[in-house]
Amino acid sequence: MIDFSRVQKELQECSRDIESSGIRVTPKSDNLGRLTGIIPGPTGTPYEGGTFCIDITLPDGYPFEPPKMQFATKVWHPNISSQSGAICLDILKDQWSPALTLKTALLSVQALLSAPQPDDPQDAVVAQQYIKEYQTFVGTARYWTETFAKVSSLGVEEKVQKLVEMGFPESLVRSTLEAVGGDENLALEKLCSG
Amino acid sequence: MEDYGDSDEECYYSDDRESLDGLDNEDSHFQRVTPKGPKVIRKESLLAAQREDLRRVMELLSLREHHARTLLIHYRWDVERLFAVLVEKGKSFLFTEAGVTIIESQDNDSQQTSCSTVRCDICIEDLSRDKATRMDCGHSFCNDCWTEHFIVKINEGQSKRIRCMAYKCNAICDEAVVRNLVSKRHPDLAEKFERFLLESYIEDNKMVKWCPSTPHCGNAIRVEEDQFCEVECSCGMQFCFSCLSETHSPCSCLMWELWSKKCRDESETVNWITVHTKPCPKCHKPVEKNGGCNLVSCVCGQAFCWLCGGATGRDHTWSRIAGHSCGRYKEDQEKKTERAKRDLYRYMHYHNRYKAHTDSFELESKLKKTIMRKVSISEEKESRLRDFSWVTNGLQRLFRSRRVLSYSYPFAFYMFGEELLEDGMTEVDREIKQSLFEDQQQQLESNVEKLSKFLGKPFEQYSDDKVMDIRMQVINLSVVTDSLCKKMYECIENDLLGSLQPGMHNIAPYKSKGIEKASELTTGWSSKTNATNMFLSSSGGTSKQERPSDSGSSDDSGCFALKRARKEDGGYFDLNLPAEVVDRS
Ligand SMILES: [Zn+2]
Ligand SMILES: [Zn+2]
Ligand SMILES: [Zn+2]
Ligand SMILES: [Zn+2]
Ligand SMILES: [Zn+2]
Ligand SMILES: [Zn+2]
Ligand SMILES: [Zn+2]
Repeated sequence: MIDFSRVQKELQECSRDIESSGIRVTPKSDNLGRLTGIIPGPTGTPYEGGTFCIDITLPDGYPFEPPKMQFATKVWHPNISSQSGAICLDILKDQWSPALTLKTALLSVQALLSAPQPDDPQDAVVAQQYIKEYQTFVGTARYWTETFAKVSSLGVEEKVQKLVEMGFPESLVRSTLEAVGGDENLALEKLCSG
Repeated sequence: MEDYGDSDEECYYSDDRESLDGLDNEDSHFQRVTPKGPKVIRKESLLAAQREDLRRVMELLSLREHHARTLLIHYRWDVERLFAVLVEKGKSFLFTEAGVTIIESQDNDSQQTSCSTVRCDICIEDLSRDKATRMDCGHSFCNDCWTEHFIVKINEGQSKRIRCMAYKCNAICDEAVVRNLVSKRHPDLAEKFERFLLESYIEDNKMVKWCPSTPHCGNAIRVEEDQFCEVECSCGMQFCFSCLSETHSPCSCLMWELWSKKCRDESETVNWITVHTKPCPKCHKPVEKNGGCNLVSCVCGQAFCWLCGGATGRDHTWSRIAGHSCGRYKEDQEKKTERAKRDLYRYMHYHNRYKAHTDSFELESKLKKTIMRKVSISEEKESRLRDFSWVTNGLQRLFRSRRVLSYSYPFAFYMFGEELLEDGMTEVDREIKQSLFEDQQQQLESNVEKLSKFLGKPFEQYSDDKVMDIRMQVINLSVVTDSLCKKMYECIENDLLGSLQPGMHNIAPYKSKGIEKASELTTGWSSKTNATNMFLSSSGGTSKQERPSDSGSSDDSGCFALKRARKEDGGYFDLNLPAEVVDRS
């Protein structure tokens, strides 16, 4: 069984320092087994300015088994599948330690965005590009960030859909969007803080 | 078997609880009694089998048992390599690599005991100190979390190296803590853990392998030094230690693998053969076409035409078979089929001979009973001849040489064929070597047949003089075949295998006495079916047991103070050896 009391504590601890970390974790439903993580793209990278959503599924053995994480937002990165969003990161596999948390894991994912490891690629095409034509890689990654990770570039219906996909109820999404004047970043923040 | 006479050291365990942690009492003393050669490791002797290795490491590095085990598991039970790393890179490197952490931690302890509760960083609960456990690395978490962690790891099959829960801590958890905590919640899982630990000695050790018998006899075999050898388990299974298939020297493991596969595949070719035989028009037996010529003749003497099956005369010219004119007579010209045919015939040549000797071996094994009966009849006769050990010896020699002969054919098939040959050998070179080898093979063959013939004679009905004569023949032939086998192995090892890809073909050395029987690992342990119980000590008495008995039948199970049985004038009876072998030594 998942240790829900620990998950609760993790969520509290995480929301406490949203300001400093920028990392958010919100449950998709009541059962805490499926969550959404949100990380801001690190500054000084092609991912800067983007907001990246990550699907989190907790296995029964959590925290003694690693959480399953996968990008919901499309990303162009050597260690993240451009197709499925699968992440190649050691701490999500054999280097997982029960002492790590969802927040520390998401911080590691964020760090991975800053420091790709093309030698251990998840996406061979991206990795090849990263090694051989770095400038093209940067361009593509930035374009993907603009296209997929910036909610503001979307129309209202797309904004709604995007936020619903993150796991928020549609009616709540619509009312929140209205309340903040259509700025999906503000809406997201509002939705996340409850 | 080698003699056990030189091993008159005693071996016993005292019943101190500490020895289980490796902290021995002064008087507890252990030495593995080591007759040379392969050993059978039973479930009951598995722990004892690892004892010596553990002990060596514990003594040299002044370590506790579980640390020694962690090191040995990391170095795959290769004590020599472990020591080499120690000498080259030092103790701390050795420990860090393997995840052994030993810290002096009194300071920490006294500091921590000052407050009565601790926070577990995993479940994020505050709890009283006695509900938490600190590992050797210094990391402390609550018992519930540790237990959960251990259970997940054991279920993942990682029992042998359960790491600490702290992030990036490489330390391996103390097996005693694992055992203790897990058994409280999941006794069966604790047992599994125990077994994994014990079996690491087999699984991770290149000198120890499970016996490949099916159904599995439960034993493992440990060899010394050379992995290229052939052994017999106490269950009777004989196998090649290196590849775990049947014994196959002087064939190399790779050759044997190819050959077995080929034999399976080519059994389809047997169909080819049935398609390619035709019934004789006279006696109706299937007759095989031999070569390209379409005039075939049956063993009954009838000649007939392959194409139409009609009876013919025995003469033919290129265009015509005498007395026959079906008009279709023509030599087969197609190169491809010729080549395939040539390859097939080459295979059949070797396979037939291989098969012939294997069949003879089986027949002769069955004959053994008959021959031994002749011996007992002879022994009861009023006669000055009393000693019939030449018969048993001759039989052993016959079996041994038969096997060598049969496996020498697949060897030759690959040695002189094109499949495995590297550029190293020229055509001329190969022909010379092949004919030398075939000479040896033929010599061996004819002597083996002679030996078989003499042993098959009804000597129980013969006069003493005639028996004496046969005896001389059998003894001579035994000696001759033995030395021919030895020569053949030498020739293979020294002159032939060298021209194949180096390192790929190793053969088990020739053992005159036959395939070596693994001897029992002699230990002081009483037999217990459950390894876990070995760790439960008791207030054992000091009753002595002759040998560990076979199953969990020992009554005084808590007693570890056992002494090995010793025959007065040295030499041990090994109950697993047939009487004849024991008698001879
Ligand atoms: Zn805990
Ligand atoms: Zn640790
Ligand atoms: Zn066996
Ligand atoms: Zn082999
Ligand atoms: Zn015939
Ligand atoms: Zn002809
Ligand atoms: Zn004809």
